[in-house]
Amino acid sequence: MPQTEERPAASLQVVGKTPFAAAQGETLIESATLLTRLGLTSKVASRHLNFFYGENQALFDNNLDIAEHRVTAIIGPSGCGKSTHLRIYNRIYELYRDQRATGEILLDGANILDPRYDIMELRRKVGMIFQKPTPFPMSVFDNVAYGLKLHYTMKKSEMADRVEEALSRAALWDEVKDFLNRPGTALSGGQQQRLCIARALAVEPEVLLMDEPTSAIDPIATSKIEELVHDLKGNYTIVIVTHNMQQAARISDFTAFFYQGHIIEFGETEEIFTKPAHKQTEDYITGRFG
Amino acid sequence: MMLKPALKRVPENPMPQDLGVTEASSQARPAARGDKTFRWLSFSCSLMVPLVMLAIGLELLQASWPALKQFGWRFFFSTDWNPVLQHFGAATSIFGTVVSTLIAMVIAVPLSLAIALFLVELAPPRVSYIAGTLIELLAAVPSIIFGMWGLFVFAPFMSRCVQPLLGKTLGFLPLFQGPPMGIGMLTAGIILAFMVLPFISAIARDVFKLVPPVVKESAFGMGATTWEVTRKVTIPYGLVGIIGAVFLGLGRAMGETMAVTFVIGNAHRLSASLFAPGNTIASALANEFSEATEPLYISSLVALGLVLYLITYLVQVISQMLLRRMYRSWSVGL
Amino acid sequence: MKLRPATGRRLTNLAVSVWAGASALLGIVILFWILYIVVQRGLGALHLAFFTQLPTPPGMAGGGLANAIAGTLVLTAAATLIAVPVGLLAGVYLAEFSEDSKIGDYSRFSANVLMGMPSIIVGVFAYTLVVVPLGHFSGYAGTVALAILMLPVVARITEDMLRLVPNTLRESALALGAPRWKVTLAIVFRAAKGGLITGILLAVARVSGETAPLLFTALNSPYWFHTLGEPTPNLTVTIFNYAMSPYPDWQQQAWGASLLITLGVLLVTVLARFLVRERKA
Repeated sequence: MPQTEERPAASLQVVGKTPFAAAQGETLIESATLLTRLGLTSKVASRHLNFFYGENQALFDNNLDIAEHRVTAIIGPSGCGKSTHLRIYNRIYELYRDQRATGEILLDGANILDPRYDIMELRRKVGMIFQKPTPFPMSVFDNVAYGLKLHYTMKKSEMADRVEEALSRAALWDEVKDFLNRPGTALSGGQQQRLCIARALAVEPEVLLMDEPTSAIDPIATSKIEELVHDLKGNYTIVIVTHNMQQAARISDFTAFFYQGHIIEFGETEEIFTKPAHKQTEDYITGRFG
Repeated sequence: MMLKPALKRVPENPMPQDLGVTEASSQARPAARGDKTFRWLSFSCSLMVPLVMLAIGLELLQASWPALKQFGWRFFFSTDWNPVLQHFGAATSIFGTVVSTLIAMVIAVPLSLAIALFLVELAPPRVSYIAGTLIELLAAVPSIIFGMWGLFVFAPFMSRCVQPLLGKTLGFLPLFQGPPMGIGMLTAGIILAFMVLPFISAIARDVFKLVPPVVKESAFGMGATTWEVTRKVTIPYGLVGIIGAVFLGLGRAMGETMAVTFVIGNAHRLSASLFAPGNTIASALANEFSEATEPLYISSLVALGLVLYLITYLVQVISQMLLRRMYRSWSVGL
Repeated sequence: MKLRPATGRRLTNLAVSVWAGASALLGIVILFWILYIVVQRGLGALHLAFFTQLPTPPGMAGGGLANAIAGTLVLTAAATLIAVPVGLLAGVYLAEFSEDSKIGDYSRFSANVLMGMPSIIVGVFAYTLVVVPLGHFSGYAGTVALAILMLPVVARITEDMLRLVPNTLRESALALGAPRWKVTLAIVFRAAKGGLITGILLAVARVSGETAPLLFTALNSPYWFHTLGEPTPNLTVTIFNYAMSPYPDWQQQAWGASLLITLGVLLVTVLARFLVRERKA
C-alpha cells in the first residue's frame, strides 16, 4: 500500500492522456468505440457520471459501456468506487439522502437518472445481487415469488412454474425442491446466494448487477456461482464487481479498472490481463497494490 | 429487550502469570478471592429479582386467601361488588380490564407501527430524530398527568365532539349507545392507547432499524415500494420484536392505574356500551384500597390484585416464549 | 406474464406514507396538548408560597405543598439508594457471569416480568409487607414499593449497557493480569458509564412520577414529616386527592403540582438523552 499514497497526482495525469478525457466533447469514448468495433450493442452506457457522498466526490467523469449479453467485470482496489458505480445502475443509492449522482446513465438509450424515469420499472429491468446473501424472512418459494407478486398478476399455477424455472436457472431447484416451504434463511450461504439470484431472475430482468457476490461464501459455492454466471450470460447482461482478479479473468468478457473514482482502463478481459495499457492497471493486476 | 443474541462468553484463558500455577494456589491469591466475593455478591443481588417476584405472588396469595376461601370460584365470575353487604366478585373489574386494554391495543398497535415506519423509512434524519425524541418524551409523562389531562380536558372533549359523532354514525351498534358523558370505557381505552403508543413504537423502531440495510436494499432493488418492503420484509424480519413490543404494550395497558382511575368512572358494572362508566382491576384498587377497612373487603381487593398479577405474569411468559422461539427460527444464517 | 399496473402500488404507498406521518404527528400533538394544558393551568399556582408553605384547608387562601415536594424528593432518593447498588450488581451478574446459568436466565426473565408488573401491584405488595405488620401507613412502605419498581429497570439497563462493551476490552484488561472484579468495576463500568448514568436517571425520573404504589403505602399527609416511619406527604398522591376534591383552589394546587412533576420528570429525561448525545459526539 505505500505506493498508493503518491498515486493521486500521477493518476490524474495519466487519465488526462486517456481517450476518456477527450470524451469531454462527446467525441470519443473508448468503451463505446470498442463495442462498436466488435459489433456489440451497448446495453448500459454511463456518460460523464459523477457521484457524491455528501460533499465528497467518489466518482469522476465515469464513461463506460456495458455490452449486451456479455459479462463485464469491474475491478480495482477497495475504495476505488467500483461498488458505488454499480449502485447507480438501479438507483439504489437514492435510499440514502446525502448521496447523489450527476451525468447520465443510458439504459437502451433512455437516461435512468432522469427523475421521470420510473424507478420501479428500472429495478424490474435491472436486478441486483449483493455481497452478502439477503434471503427475506419468508419461505424459499415466497422469496422467489416476491418480485413476481410485486410486478405481475398471474395464476397460482403459473407462479409455481415461474418459481421453478427461476430456481432451475439459478441451479438451485434440485437442492431445494423438497424444501420450498422452509425459511429461506435456513439454507446454506451459497444456496442463499443462489436463491437471491433466482429471486432476481424470476422477474425477468435484462441486466443483472452483482456486487462482489462471492465474497461472503466458500470456494465450492463460489465456483458454482461462477458457472452460473457463465450459463446466464446468453440471456442477460451481467455486470460484476469483484476484488478477485482471477474471478474477473475467469468469467468476464470485458473488464473495467477503477482507481480512485476514475475509470483508468476498459477493454476485453484478455487484453487487460495480458497487456494492460496503463501502468496502474498493470501494478494492480500483478498485485503490486490493492 | 431480548432481541440481541447473548454475546459470546469471554474465553477464560489462563492469564500469563497463571501458567503453571496449580488450581489450589491460584485460588488462594487475593485477586481470586476478590473475584469470588464479587461474583457471589452480584449473584445474590441478581437473585433478589426472582425472589421479589415470587414474594409478591406468595404475599398476594396469602393476603387474598380469606376472600378466596369465602367466595371460592364464584369470586372470579360474580359481578356483585357490594362493600355494604360484603359480597365481592371480580367479574366487572376483569371485564373492564380486558375491554379497556383491547380498545387501547386496537388503536395503539397500528399507530405505533405507522410511527416506527415514519421514523425509520420516511422521515429525513433530522425530522426523524426530533419526532422520535418527542414521542419518546410522551412515555415519560407520568400516568397521573395523563389522568389530570384526561379528566379535565380530554373527557370533556370526548363528550362534546367525539362521542356524539360516534353515536350518530355508529350508533346502531350497542357499543356506541348511551349518553355521551365523556367519562367511561372508551375514553379510558383511548388514553391508554396514547400512553402505550411510545413504548410500542420505540421498540418497533429499534426492530425496524435492526433489519440489515442490505436486506432492505435488495427488496428495494426488486422494485418494491417502501410499503411493500415494510410489509413483506421489514415486519416479518422483525416480527419477533414487534410481537414483543405489542405484548409489552399489552401488559402496560392492563396494569395502568392512575390515568384510568381518573376517567373510567369507577362503577362496578358490566355494560355493552363503551360510553358507559366501568372499572378495571387497577382502578378499583386505586380507588378503594385506602378506604377499605373490613378485612374481607381488603382481602377481596388483594385478590383482585392477585388476578392482575397472574394475568400480567402470563402475558409476559407468553411474550418471552414467543420471542425466544421466533428468534431461533428466523435467525439461522443471518 | 401480465405486468401489474404500478399506479395502485404507488397510491397504496402514498396512502401509507401519509398515514405514517399523521400518526407521528398525532403522538406529538398529544404531547404538546398535555404540556400546554399543564403549563396553562399550573403556572398560576406556582407562587413562592407553593414551595415554602404547608397545605391549607379548602376555602382558605394561600398555602403550598412544601411538605409534599420534600416528601417526593426524599422518597425517590431513598428508593434510589436501595435500588441502584443492588440493581447494578444484579446487572453485573447477568452480563458478566450468567452464561449457561439457569439462575441467570431466570433472573433476567424475572426482571423482564417485574418491569412489566403494574406498579399498583407492587403497592399492594408493599402494603402487605410493611404497612400491615407496622400497623400504619409509612414512608418506608412507599420507599420499598418504589425501590422494587426501580430494581429490575436498573438491573436490565446495566446488563444491556455492559454487554455493549466489546469483549476485546475485557480480554485485554484480563490479559494484563487484572482480576475480574477490577476489570468489571474499573474498565467495563467506565466504558459503559454514559449508558449507565442515562439508564439510572431515566429510572429515577420514572419512579418519581409514580402515584399508584404510594396510594396505600406512603399515603399522604397535610403536615411535615419527621421520619419515613409516618405517612409521608408526596406530590403525586396529593394531585390525585386534590383533583378528585370538589374545591377549585385544591384543584388549582393539583395543577401546580402537576406542572412541577411534569417539568421535573421531563427535565431529567431530556438531560439523560442529552448525556447520551454528548457521549456519542
